[in-house]
Amino acid sequence: MSDDSLIIYEAEITKIDDLLKKMLKGAEAKCALLVDKDGHLITRQGFTHSLDTTALAALLAGSFASTKEIAKLVGEPEFSVLFHQGKKDHIHMSIVGERSILAVIFDDRTTIGMVRLYAKETAQELAKIFQEILERHEPNQGISNEFADMAQDKLDDIFQD
Amino acid sequence: MVSINYSAREVCCKIVYYGPGLSGKTTNLQYIHSKVPQNTRGKLISLATEADRTLYFDFLPINIGTINDFQAKFQLYTVPGQVYYNATRKLVLRGVDGVVFVADSQPDKMDENLESLANLEENLVEYGYNPDELPMVIQYNKCDLPGVMSVEELNARLNTKGRPFFQASATLGNGVFDTLKLIIKLVLEKAKATGQGTAAKPRVQAAPTPAAEKPYPEKAQPKAAVQPAEQSPAATATAVEERPAVAETRPQEEPEKEEVSREAAYRPYPGSDKAASERKAAALGVGRSRSEELPAEALGRNIGAGTSDRQEQQPAATATPQMAPSLRRRGENKKRGFFKRLFGIK
Repeated sequence: MSDDSLIIYEAEITKIDDLLKKMLKGAEAKCALLVDKDGHLITRQGFTHSLDTTALAALLAGSFASTKEIAKLVGEPEFSVLFHQGKKDHIHMSIVGERSILAVIFDDRTTIGMVRLYAKETAQELAKIFQEILERHEPNQGISNEFADMAQDKLDDIFQD
Repeated sequence: MVSINYSAREVCCKIVYYGPGLSGKTTNLQYIHSKVPQNTRGKLISLATEADRTLYFDFLPINIGTINDFQAKFQLYTVPGQVYYNATRKLVLRGVDGVVFVADSQPDKMDENLESLANLEENLVEYGYNPDELPMVIQYNKCDLPGVMSVEELNARLNTKGRPFFQASATLGNGVFDTLKLIIKLVLEKAKATGQGTAAKPRVQAAPTPAAEKPYPEKAQPKAAVQPAEQSPAATATAVEERPAVAETRPQEEPEKEEVSREAAYRPYPGSDKAASERKAAALGVGRSRSEELPAEALGRNIGAGTSDRQEQQPAATATPQMAPSLRRRGENKKRGFFKRLFGIK
C-alpha cells in the first residue's frame, strides 16, 4: 500500500463536487468533506469558510481509524457509518469505497435520517467513481526534479532558528 | 505515498515523528510551531491526556508555499510513545512518507529506544512498507542533558543501517529544523525517484479533459487568494471559498446586498404587517444561506419586525426617489378601499 496512490483529475473532482452539491442540497446539510483515510482532504463543498479543513480531515481520518480498531475488537471488520451528535452541529461520516470517508456536517434544519439517506446514495455513486479511478492503474509520476529543488530553497528560507 | 492533488494543486506529504515515550516528539512539533512564520503553519493539534501525554497524535500542517504552481504541504504527526498505545501508534503510520525517529540520548533510555525502533519497523512492515527504503532520519534528542551517550555509542546501537542522524535538543531547538529539513528533502527525493521525474506542472497539462481545461485560468486566481488565508485562522473567515459555484456557497456579501436593495425598493406599508411577512418569506425563501450567514438576531428581526423596526426604515425609504410612486399607490389603495366600502365590494 505504500506505493498505490490515488490520482484524481479535474474532471473527476468536478464530478465528485457535483455529487456532493446535490447531496448537500437534497439533505439540506451545511457542508461535506471527502477525506482520504490517510488524513488528506480530497475535496470539500458547502460552508467550509470557518472550518480548518486540513485539521478536520486529519482528525476525521484519525477518528475513523480508531473506530475501525474498536470494530475489530468487537468482531466487526469496520463500522461503515459514524455519527457524532453535538448541541447544534452534527457530523455524519460514512465510508466511500475502500479508502475514503465522506463527512457531512449538518444542523437541526435537517434530520439525521435525511442526511443518512442522501449520504448513502452519494457514497455509492462516489464509490463507483473511485473504482474507475483505481482501475485506471496509472503509475504515479511523482514530482519533478525542479519541484524538489525549489522546495529545498524555500525550506532554507522558512526554517531558520 | 506523496499525495498530489492536481485539482487543488497541492502536493501533500505525511511525516511522522516516532520514538519512545517522553523522548521529545511533541516538543519537536511545539518548537516548529513556535518558530515558523504564521502563514507557513496551521494549528497545532494535540490529542493528549490531562497530564499532557500524547494519547493519539499531534498534528501540525505546514505549507512551504507555491512551487511550480503547486502548494507544497507537509503534515507532521507524532505518535504516542508509551508502549501500550501501539494500536493507535500504528494507525498514525498509515500512508506515511517519511519518519523521524526521535531517540532519547540518556543511557538508561536505550532499551526503550531499541524497543520503539523495533516496533516501528514491525508496524511499517505490517503496512507493507520496506523500512529500509522509507525515508528516515534519526534524531538523538536531549543532547543538552548531562551524562548523555556519545553519538558514536548511539549510532552503534540505534543506527546500524547508517541512516542520517542529528543531535538535537528539542526544548532549546537545536537540531530540530535540521532534522525537519533533511526529512523533507529525503521525502521529496523519494517522491522524485518513484516517479519518472515528470514535472508536476506538465502532468496537469498532459492530462487535459474538456472540463478541466477551461476552469484552470479562472480557478488559479481565487486559489491563490485562498491558500495563504488557510494558514491564518483569523483571515479564514473573510476568505472567499475556492469553489463558489454551488448555490448555497454564494459569497457572503451577496445576500446582504440583496437585502439592502430589497429594502430600498420596498416601501413599508403603515399599519400593515406585510413588511414583516414579506421579509420573513424572503429570509426563508431566498436561501438557507441567509440564515446561515446572518446572525440569529437578524432573522429574528425580520420575522418579528415590530413597530420600532418599521419606524426605523420609513425615514430611509422617504429619502429615496422611489418614494413618490409608493405614496401614490398608498393613496390609490386608500381610495379603492373607500369605493369598496362605498359600494360594498368585498
